[in-house]
Amino acid sequence: MFRELAGMALDSLRANKFRSLLTMLGIIIGSATLVAVLSLGNALQSQVFEQFIDLGTRRIAVLPGDPKANGARDILGYGLISIQDYQVLERLVAQRPDIFRNIVPEISSATDVRAGTTSIKATLVGTNELYKDIQRTPVAYGRFLSDVDEQSLARVSVLGYQVAKDLLGEDPAILQASLGRTIEINGQPIQIIGILKENGGPFSTDQRVFAPMSTVRLRLVGNLDLPGRGTQMSSILIGLQSEKFVDTAEAQIKTSLRSSRGVADGAIDDFQLNLPTQALSVLSGINGAITGFIALVAGISLVVGGIGIMNIMLVAVTERTREIGVRKALGATDNDVLSQFVLEAVVISLVGSLIGVGGAIALVLLIGVASGLGVAISWLAVVLALVFACVIGVGFGYYPARRAALLLPIEALRYE
Amino acid sequence: MTEYLTNTEVPDYITEPVVRAIDLVKDFDTGGTIFRALDTVSVEIQRGEMVAIMGPSGSGKSTLMTILGLLDVPSSGSYWLDGEDVSMLDRTKQAQARNRKLGFVFQNFNLLPRLSALKNVELPLVYGRIGAAERELKAREALIAVGLESKLNNRPNELSGGQKQRVAVARALVGTPTMILADEPTGALDTRTGAEIMDMFRELNATLGLTIVIVTHDAEIGRQMDRVIGLRDGRLSNNILHDYYGVQIEQPVIENLAMPILAPLPIVRGKEAQGV
Repeated sequence: MFRELAGMALDSLRANKFRSLLTMLGIIIGSATLVAVLSLGNALQSQVFEQFIDLGTRRIAVLPGDPKANGARDILGYGLISIQDYQVLERLVAQRPDIFRNIVPEISSATDVRAGTTSIKATLVGTNELYKDIQRTPVAYGRFLSDVDEQSLARVSVLGYQVAKDLLGEDPAILQASLGRTIEINGQPIQIIGILKENGGPFSTDQRVFAPMSTVRLRLVGNLDLPGRGTQMSSILIGLQSEKFVDTAEAQIKTSLRSSRGVADGAIDDFQLNLPTQALSVLSGINGAITGFIALVAGISLVVGGIGIMNIMLVAVTERTREIGVRKALGATDNDVLSQFVLEAVVISLVGSLIGVGGAIALVLLIGVASGLGVAISWLAVVLALVFACVIGVGFGYYPARRAALLLPIEALRYE
Repeated sequence: MTEYLTNTEVPDYITEPVVRAIDLVKDFDTGGTIFRALDTVSVEIQRGEMVAIMGPSGSGKSTLMTILGLLDVPSSGSYWLDGEDVSMLDRTKQAQARNRKLGFVFQNFNLLPRLSALKNVELPLVYGRIGAAERELKAREALIAVGLESKLNNRPNELSGGQKQRVAVARALVGTPTMILADEPTGALDTRTGAEIMDMFRELNATLGLTIVIVTHDAEIGRQMDRVIGLRDGRLSNNILHDYYGVQIEQPVIENLAMPILAPLPIVRGKEAQGV
């Protein structure tokens, strides 16, 4: 019986090709959107991550331990980190290039920056060339620090956006012209070699002034050596190859540092790790919101498509009242008629969905080839779209079909 | 045609009428006022009979036909079809009874326009849940029986009126019903084609012993029947052919049978019964 009913449904679809196609439009668009979005989702997600990378999703910051923490030992210099820790971690990073990308020291202190008569407060950060690979704030003017600057203790600095703006003004021409100008940091003359772009968010560089670590240590800030441990550091940034290594990297860093710093078993860490989990959750939140929104649009489109189907089925039931009467006279039961019209709605919906899914697959593959992004068809989305189409066909086809089924045979036969 | 359904034994004597309807009443609610379309009508139709239901417009003949055809239920009264009480069937049982026991022929053919002649004839078998192969075989046989072996795959719009009605007759025949109900089967046809269709009905009646009930306005058709059931204002009316249509009947036809006949009844079939 199912075969006969399916045949009837396809037949009536063929009889009204153009009308059926128009009816399917909502379903076509909805299904295509669903498949395209979910298929491109992964590629889109990594794109989004790339965009937001300077939020700090691929790095772990090693920070001094909190001497006031519960379980901290009451000794002088507790928790401070030094160049020794840096060297330990440098070896760890070199051992596991699959997980770690690079390691960057950071010495930071509050400072006064002065240009002419303008003086502002900022954070002075002593670091090296690699910093720009971890904190990817693009340089707006000039260049970032280099290894040569580090080795030559160069009196150079790169200004964060807000610092430059407060110090020099917003005019791009003036900012551009400021390159090479000498300002005072902690009373020392320092040349501006670069200005960074604006970068808000939790790891903002806007309030910072960057200088070579050697310059900061030996020229700008007083004695930074910890007794017996070398230069004190405010933090050590460790870049990761990927967000997915956060947990592994955290464990490895902890193990290394606890052993090198002689932390007894059972004692708390005398250092802190700043993990990018917050930034990651913000990102996946954004990504989820985008996907959810587009899925919502696809869903709305599918529902609108369903209403279109309901509409056309109501028309069909009216148009074919006589046919329904004839079928009933020949022995079609109410259920036969109900099944016929529900199936017809499902066929319209399903064919529409197949067209949409087919189009989306073609589109996704095309985008994959054209953009070189690693895209893969989400078969889950394909199944989802087809199942959803069936549900919509049944859901929106049921009411018109029921109307057809409940027609009185004699009235249907006499319908003009 | 004689080979068609030869396995169906037609007994010469029948004890069970095909139709036994007692005190049928049908009321229609026309906006507050009740219109009684059928008023205590009792009818019996014997197996193998060829009967006309006749009467003026609004006499209730179509209403009687729809009730006998299980397309509607009576307001009161009882109806046995083929020995089975069908007065109070639910809609599904009604549909199944229509499918098994009845064949319909309509004035305007009522073929489904998008289906070929063969597919149209197959329809009752589809609803009878007959398998595809057997269905096609039977439909083919039925179409051959009505002389349309060359038009199996034509759609209705490629057929003449007479051919369309033949397809409809084949469709009515294909499920081997106990009774064929024809509503003005010649109404949309010219005289000659109409006569051909009537000849076909008579032949089916004579060769297969098929019970045929025809609702008609045409006194000429009424004259050719075994019997005429006359209706006026929803009530049985004797001698309607003479009184209403002004036809002189050479051989008196049996008019309505208000009382159930319990004794075996000899059936007169075929050309002898026409009395022409």
